[in-house]
Amino acid sequence: MYTVGQLGKRVGLSRSALLYYDQIGLLSPSARSPSGYRLYSEADLRRMERIMTYRDAGLSLDVIGTLLQANDASAPVVLESHLQTVNQEIARLRQQQRVIADLLGDAQVLRKSRSMTKAQWVAILTSTGLDEAGMDRWHMAFETMSPDAHQDFLESLGIPPEEVDSIRAFSRQLAEARKG
Amino acid sequence: MSTSNMTRTQWVELFEATGLDEAMMDRWHSEFERRYPAQHQSFLHWIGLSDDEIRAVRSHSQTN
Repeated sequence: MYTVGQLGKRVGLSRSALLYYDQIGLLSPSARSPSGYRLYSEADLRRMERIMTYRDAGLSLDVIGTLLQANDASAPVVLESHLQTVNQEIARLRQQQRVIADLLGDAQVLRKSRSMTKAQWVAILTSTGLDEAGMDRWHMAFETMSPDAHQDFLESLGIPPEEVDSIRAFSRQLAEARKG
Repeated sequence: MSTSNMTRTQWVELFEATGLDEAMMDRWHSEFERRYPAQHQSFLHWIGLSDDEIRAVRSHSQTN
């Protein structure tokens, strides 16, 4: 025979959980000690182990109670219906997983594109064959096409505000000079 | 960077206005891919290319 403490230790449940299971009629001890302490038999232990298995399967105590009372034939029906619930839950979690991954993907894209430096951009443009005059033209065209995007782009390369201002002013001067 | 994103077309226009011809733009992609592959991917995603388009541009850049 097992006391509440001993049974709890065996199945990894707290004393209060076992008392609660007794209270709701899920698992009541088959005996009492002379002084009134709960005593659980081997059969109680086996019943408790079944309860733990169903708990691991995610079944509610309510459903577990029904299962323990039911005959063996009805168990598969209950379990199958629960399996369907679990499958739906998994589908819902997959959906959440996708949304989270998309959100993180966007954040990562932003971080990575921001992680390009001025020196890296210049290196690419240089090896493309753009000389200094070419880069000036690039800034000028950028400033003319979309001043806001130009500003954002320069900021994204980590260029300090004063330098961004002077690059943009210079780009505008070039554009003016070209027009005039 | 999100508020005033330029599209792919605008980037191409920008390079054209700078005076880059198509061969130079190809070279630009190849250099980008060779030096900073992850950033190249991010850049293409950022300017709104689909995954398929990104794959196509990047594999073209690798063979150049």
